[in-house]
Amino acid sequence: MSNTADREIVIARVFNAPRELVFEAWLDPKHIDQWWGPRGFTTVTSSMNATNGGAWHYVMRHEQYGEFKNRIVYREIVRPERLVYTHDSGVDDDASAFEVTVSFVAQGARTKLTMHSIFSSAAELERVKGFGAIEGGKQTLERLAERLAQPH
Amino acid sequence: MRSDRLNAVFSALADPTRRAILARLATGAANVMELAQPFDMSQPSVSKHLRVLEHAGLIVRGRDAQRRPCRLEPAPLKAVAEFVERYRQHWEQSFDRLELHLQRMKTDEALKPKGKPRRGQKHTLATNDSRFTK
Repeated sequence: MSNTADREIVIARVFNAPRELVFEAWLDPKHIDQWWGPRGFTTVTSSMNATNGGAWHYVMRHEQYGEFKNRIVYREIVRPERLVYTHDSGVDDDASAFEVTVSFVAQGARTKLTMHSIFSSAAELERVKGFGAIEGGKQTLERLAERLAQPH
Repeated sequence: MRSDRLNAVFSALADPTRRAILARLATGAANVMELAQPFDMSQPSVSKHLRVLEHAGLIVRGRDAQRRPCRLEPAPLKAVAEFVERYRQHWEQSFDRLELHLQRMKTDEALKPKGKPRRGQKHTLATNDSRFTK
């Protein structure tokens, strides 16, 4: 067991598409804006620099809950097999940042995608709690919005 | 749940012995001596783990100074489970959308002309190519 296993969430899915295509869907604003985010949200890319150390800035919008600024900084891009990034609210040294590793494994014409999200502190969890609380009610999202609005 | 409390819950859960103690307590209350037995541990080290679990609000200890039975407190575990579930839902829904989008991408790929058009192939294919129209 790795030392992060206790604070890691793993989500996997097999997609009926070759991995080059699945990988492309993650690193092209034309594509990622079409699927990123849960039901009821739209994602609009402000800018994307898909290189090691580059960043993707985007805004997630919900008719009822409003807008949420996000930033993803790419730590490692290995086409078409691995993506490592830090996800935060777009400010430096965000205590609520969390690390994600996405692996793409070819299975014939299909692709198994595995997403490891590693949370290292309660602050991160609190933020993601809001981020993930789409069905969880307006209150959590309002708290998230307040936190995102706070100057750091 | 407050952030420091959540932190305490996660660090308490990070230890396999403490998770085993919680699993034991899920079957019913027990005192330190009963808990120490299956783990081949001294009572003081079990007590140390119990203090961590108690601080995180994961267990409640009885007032009886002699026995001090411990029982599981499910609320913090429930909060953690709910958080994980919400996060999972967020991504399951995104991946549903990704699945649909990949089908559209595959259709677009299939419409791209491959090399020189063969005789009889309709040229309208090339003008429908997303690379030229977008």
